[in-house]
Parts: sequence; structure tokens; C-alpha cells
Amino acid sequence: MPGFSGERFVRLLLLSLCLPGGSPADLPMTTQDASQTQGNLLTQMPTGLNESSPEPMMTTRVVNRQTRESVSDHSPVGHSVSTPGPDLTTQDFKQAVEEKASNFTDLVYEVLVSGVSGTPVEKNITLDSPAKVELSCSLANKYPHLKIVQVAWKKGNETIKHINKTENSWSIQLIVTDENELGSYSCTLKGEEEFKAVFHLQVPKIEGKEKPIISYEGDTVVMICKSSNYTPITWTWYLTNGSEQIAINDSLLSDKYVIDRVPANTTHLKILKLTKKDDGAYWCEAVFKLGKSKGKLKLKVLTFLVPLKPFLAILAEVIILVAIVFLYEVYSKKKEKHAEYEKEFEQVEQLKSEESNGVESSSTRHRKV
Amino acid sequence: MSHQVPSDLGYVPPDGGWGWAVVFGASISVGFAYTFPKAFTIYFKELQAVYSISYSQIAWITSIMCATTYGGGPISSILVNRYGSRPVVMFGGLLCGIGMVSAAFCTSILQLYICVGFITGFGLALNLQPSVIIIGKYFLKRRPIANGLAMAGSPVMLCTLAPLNQFLFDNFGWRGSFLILGAILLNCCVAGALFRPIGAAKRSVKNQTTEKGKEAPKEEVTRMSMEMSNPTYAPAETRTEEEEEKDCCEKINQYLDFSLFKHRGFLIYLIGNVLMFLGFFAPIVFLAPYAKHIGIDEYSAAFLLSILAIVDMIARPTTGIIANSKWVRPKIQYFFSFSIAFNGTCHLLCPLASGYTGLVVYSIFFGLAFGMVCAMLFETLMDLVGAARFTSAVGLVTIAECCTILLGPPIGGTLIDTFGDYKYMFIKCGAVMVLAGTFLFIMNYYNYRMLAKEEKERKAKEEDPKIVRTENEGRSNWKKETLQDGPELEPLRDEREGLKTEVNGTNEV
Repeated sequence: MPGFSGERFVRLLLLSLCLPGGSPADLPMTTQDASQTQGNLLTQMPTGLNESSPEPMMTTRVVNRQTRESVSDHSPVGHSVSTPGPDLTTQDFKQAVEEKASNFTDLVYEVLVSGVSGTPVEKNITLDSPAKVELSCSLANKYPHLKIVQVAWKKGNETIKHINKTENSWSIQLIVTDENELGSYSCTLKGEEEFKAVFHLQVPKIEGKEKPIISYEGDTVVMICKSSNYTPITWTWYLTNGSEQIAINDSLLSDKYVIDRVPANTTHLKILKLTKKDDGAYWCEAVFKLGKSKGKLKLKVLTFLVPLKPFLAILAEVIILVAIVFLYEVYSKKKEKHAEYEKEFEQVEQLKSEESNGVESSSTRHRKV
Repeated sequence: MSHQVPSDLGYVPPDGGWGWAVVFGASISVGFAYTFPKAFTIYFKELQAVYSISYSQIAWITSIMCATTYGGGPISSILVNRYGSRPVVMFGGLLCGIGMVSAAFCTSILQLYICVGFITGFGLALNLQPSVIIIGKYFLKRRPIANGLAMAGSPVMLCTLAPLNQFLFDNFGWRGSFLILGAILLNCCVAGALFRPIGAAKRSVKNQTTEKGKEAPKEEVTRMSMEMSNPTYAPAETRTEEEEEKDCCEKINQYLDFSLFKHRGFLIYLIGNVLMFLGFFAPIVFLAPYAKHIGIDEYSAAFLLSILAIVDMIARPTTGIIANSKWVRPKIQYFFSFSIAFNGTCHLLCPLASGYTGLVVYSIFFGLAFGMVCAMLFETLMDLVGAARFTSAVGLVTIAECCTILLGPPIGGTLIDTFGDYKYMFIKCGAVMVLAGTFLFIMNYYNYRMLAKEEKERKAKEEDPKIVRTENEGRSNWKKETLQDGPELEPLRDEREGLKTEVNGTNEV
């Protein structure tokens, strides 16, 4: 998989999405966005693309079609694509990788419009380094009858003027160099019905931990943040003081905090000599070229009295049970001895009576003999 | 044909009554001993992060724990021979508790090795062997059922301990969890308290009667009746008098019976089991990773293990009941060999299982086979050597098994790493177990024949009217006593001759 070290010209091909439609041969689609519903996916290699974009992309396009798997690896959005169904023209995601002299990666994202209008289709696109992005909304070939009168591309409320139009698709080109260019871009196709698709361009998200990390006063705790697919430039840790977030300077407070940034996509924050004041939320921030992303971790500092209570409770239960078992044993042994004593007493009585009887019977026997 | 003789124990085991409380206590002890290392793996990630160590270094904790639990067997046996089961189990529970509580205050991985690995491991060893031993003392006719129920404690404890550990970790962190686990392990002391000593009770009765100063003839009557039912008692008395006169070999044998190595049945069991354990635990260890390897998600993979545990839980008592039936009990060794071979066949067929349904079917059959083998593991040893020598036998067997138990998963892991494919590990495990099963089957067939031969010789001797007659009278008295016991004796009636054979067997061998 070609890496993204540095900035390169990479062309990502279209991500075909379907707007919610009532087409019969619906294919289940798994996308990042939950609002995505079923629809027919058509492979649309918009011939217009070549015409619209000035860069020579033809070779890459052909390559891309075959390399669908590598494409999905490559593209962060790749996994969101559905499996192709009986309709062979369905295509999920194509990604072209082309190395060029110039700096940026080329990314193209396309939304296919088909059928019925409904809620806007949303797409999340993750970028960690500068890229050239082309976003396009296009009509599926199946629906040429839909007349589109007006197409508008907007970033937020700001209208984008330069729209490249081809036969069935409308696209815009963006050069994303820093976080100003990130955001939500929407395309609205107005005709008899209105179709809307929204692309969210964002930096990779860092996941924190939902469950709090628990530690004790005087102990050491290690908090870990990972960024699996993208390698950030650096990491910063923040602790929350009231409503403020204060950066942790580990060189200044080196006997309290130790920050480890190796390997580059993982970071460890070690807090020594914990006190109650260290309790609260911590943030690990990954700095990418295009912006920053934070993950939240919670730390709870407890005293040793907290687990001591259940410990003592269980200890008491054990002692009580052992005592009960022993007392029951002593009690049942006493009963047993008592019963045996009575039995032996009876035996003695029997023996005595037998002896006396025996003497008489033997004497009678003798007499008889 | 290979049944335990009452005379071996010196008394008739109750086969019920307080015995069921003992079974309950034994299931708790056995459960903790087998499942604690497995359930402990939840803490690995956190400990790895805190102490900045690799996975293999952390995994040493459970390896040391397992090794100590099995390797401490002989020491356990010696202590039980000397002091009886109850004090040993209670001390073991105390040791486990102390080990985990001190682990809560550890500051380095080495201290964890010692506290969790050695101390807790040794405490678990002092729990495991005596629990199994005391079942043999309380049960004879229903011993397979009792064994099956006691061993069923292991999957039950696994199902409760694993989520409990997760809950403790989420709420108390790892230090607090270790502290509370220490308290939980103290419950082994409660289990130990249930292990009322048996056999020694008669001695106290005798003392009582002497203390009460009964008439002399009555004393003799009681003492004679006790001697008849407890011949080992009198020899014990004489033994204490003649202790200095014994040579050191006999003394050692009193604590740990090394003469077992001349016992044919014991050797067969030892070799077969040592071989079997080479492929016994590896499939469980690698089932979840194998499932993930073929593309199943993590939760479904974990669910496979749950299925295994549930089937295991049901299989163990059921196997006990089947093994107790009059058709199986005389030939229980064959049933054991069959279950080992069945287990091996499951592993050999596993690579053919494709997809999640195939693995579910495999898990069910594996759980069944695993439960069958575990339920009869100690029952068959008791059956071969007798309850009196079982104390030493179990210690010697566990320390021999210790090596192969520890080697099994790493060998499997090496196979997986070398070939990059899980199927060779399954083939190796399956082949080893089928081999062990066949070996045990053939050797036990030979053993049964030898025992039958010895029984014939014994019968021939008895028909000869010699001094043996007095002994026979004694035995016929026992016969009458046991006849009065009731219908449960039906399955054993045909094997009563076997009782004498067994005596002969243990005496000769």
C-alpha cells in the first residue's frame, strides 16, 4: 500500500453512493453514515471526469477499476462501500494511486443520485495530510429522465461558484492545505424533486476510553492513546482544570508526568504519585498537518478504603461460614455420641440378660443330656 | 473387577449424607484451582501498560501459577497423608488469600511473579489435591457421580469468575480487584471446613468409651468390632510403637507412596495421561484466536468458549452418572480411553469445519468430550490404585503431568507460527490424544486380563482350606454387613470376587 509519507499526488476515485431510492434491486449497503439507505449502485466511470479535470487521469482510472481491494485499504472510506450485487455495474469505491511530481494527493469522491428524494445523504471523508479533492454528485445512468434544473454546491452557507459539469455529474474541486478547507460541503440537485448530499471533510478521530481508568492514591497510572490508520506529527496531552484545558509539560514536571511518544502512532502518559487532585478528564491530542484531533480519557483516583469495604465484608462472611460449619459439626458429633452411648448401654443390658439366660439354658441342656 | 475394597480404606464410606456437603466443598476448591489462572488473563493488558512489559513476560504469571499448582501435588499429598484433607485445604485457602492481598501492594513484576505465581499457585495446589482425595474417602458406590459433580465446579466457576473479574476491574482497578479476589479465595477455607475427617471418628469414640470407664468386656467388644471394620487402625497403633525400627524407605512411603511405581495400573495411567495432556489444553487456548483468524468477530469468538463451558458443565455430572451405571463402572477404564480418543477425533475433524456454524458444532462436541475426560480423570486413578493409595498417587501424577501441561500450548503456538496455519496444531493435538486413548485402551485390556488371572489364582487359593479361613471369616462378616446395605449393592455383587482380587493386586504389586 503506498504510504502517505510526505505529500504526493494520489488520485482517489469515486465513491458511489446512492441517494435513498425505491429501486427494486436494492442492495444492502454498509457505509459510515447511518443515514445511508439502500439503493442501486451503478458503476459510473464518468467519462466526463477526464474532460472536467485538467490532470491526466486516464491511466489511473483504468488501474483503479481493478484494484478495488487495494483501494479500499487505501481509502479511509473504503470500508463503507457495499458488496456488489447482481447488477454488475455496481461499484463501490475506486481509488487511484498515482505518483507525481507535485505535492498533493488527489482524491475524488462521487455521490450517485438515483430515484426518490429524501433525507440528505451524508459522507464522512477523513484526511490527515493535504490533498486535492474532487467532490461530485452525479445521476445514475438509470435515471436519465430526472430533469435537474439547478445544482448548487455550498460550503456551509457559502456558495461555491466553479462547478464542473459533465453529462450527468456536477463536481467541485478543492485544494485542502489546512483546516480552513475542512468542513461540510453539500450539493443540492433541484429538479422536480430535490436531492441533497453532504460530504464531511475531517481529520482522523482519536478514540478515548469510555470507561474511566481507576487508580489509587500514591500509585502510578499509564494512559494510552492510539491512532491506528494515520500517523500524527506529534501528540499533546491536556488535563482539565475546571473548564479549562491545560497542556501538560512533561519536561517541567518530570517527576509527575512522563510522556512517551514512540512509536509515532501511540502515546503514553504516565502519572506518578497520584493524588485526589489528579482525578478528572484528560485529553490526548494528535496533531496532523490538516488540524488536530482529541480523544478523551477519564481518570478516577480512589483511596484504599474503597475496595477495603467489600474485602472486609467477604472476610466476615468467610469467618461466619467457617464458624457455622464447625459449630454444626460439634453439635452433630454430640448428638452422635449421645446416640452411641445409648446404644452401648442397651448392648450392655442385652449382654447381661443373655449371660443370665445362657447360664440357665446351658444348665438345662446339661440336665437333658 | 477393579473395584475398591472396603478393607483398603478400613471402613465403609457413607456414600451420601455429609458426603454431598463434601462434594459441594470440593467443587468450589476444584473450581478455583482450575479457573483462577484462566480468569486472571483479564488483567494482563493493564499490567502490561503499568509495568511496560511485553505480553510474554506477563504470561509468565499464569504459567508459574499453573506450574506451581500441578508441581505442588506431591507436597500436597504428603501433607494430606500426615494431617488429613481439612487442615491442608484451609491452609491452602489462607495462602491464596495472602498471596492475592500482597499482590495488591506489589510494585514490580517480579513481586507479582512471587505473590500471584508462587504463593497463590501453591495455595491452589493445596486446594486441588486434597479435595479430590477426600471424595474417595466419602464415596465408593456413588464415587463416579461424586467425582463428576465435584469436577463440574470448574466450568461453573469459570462462568462466574470471568464476568466477576471484569466487573471488579471496571470498578476497582487492578489493585482493588486483587484485594477483593484475595477475600474471595478465602472461601476455599469454607470449603475446607466442610471436609470433615472420616475414619478418625471411630478413634475418638473409642477414647470416649475408655474415658467413661465402661466394663472391661464391653470395651473389648467395641474394640474388637472396630478392629474388624477398621484393620488399618490397629496396625497404625503398632506402627507408632515400632517407628524407630522401620527403615527409611518405609517411612518415606508412609508419606508419599513411591511403591506405586511398581503398580501396573498406576504406570499405565501415568504414561497415558502424560501423553494426553500434551494435546489437551492447547485447543482451548487457541480456539478464540483461530475463530478470529478465519474471520469471525471477537464477540462471536468469545461466545464459542461460552458454549464450550456450558456444554462442559452439563457433560461432567452426566458422565459421572453414566460411569456409575452397572454396565460402565466395571469397565470404566475403557470408557475413559474412549472419551480421550473421541476428544482427539474432534480435534482432527476441526480443520474441516468451515465458517461459524462448523465451529459451533465443534465447540459443542469439544465441550462434551472435554467434560467427559475431566469428570473421569481422577475417578479412573482411584479405580486403579484404590482410595488409600490415591493420596500419594494423585501427587505423583500431577507433578508428572505438570511438564506436558505447560508444554502443550507453547508447542501448539510454535506450530501455528511456523506453518502460519492453525490446522497443524489441531492435527497434532488430535493425533496425540487418539494415540493416548488407544494406548490406554490396549493397556487396560491387558490390565483387566491380568487382574482376572490374579483373581482366579486367588480363588484357587481360597478353595484350599488353610489358615486363609480365618481371614475369609472376617471377609464374610463384611459381606454380611455390606449385604444389609441395600439395593445399591446390586451393581457390585458380581464384582465381589474382584474385591479380593484387588486386595491381592495391591498387595502383590
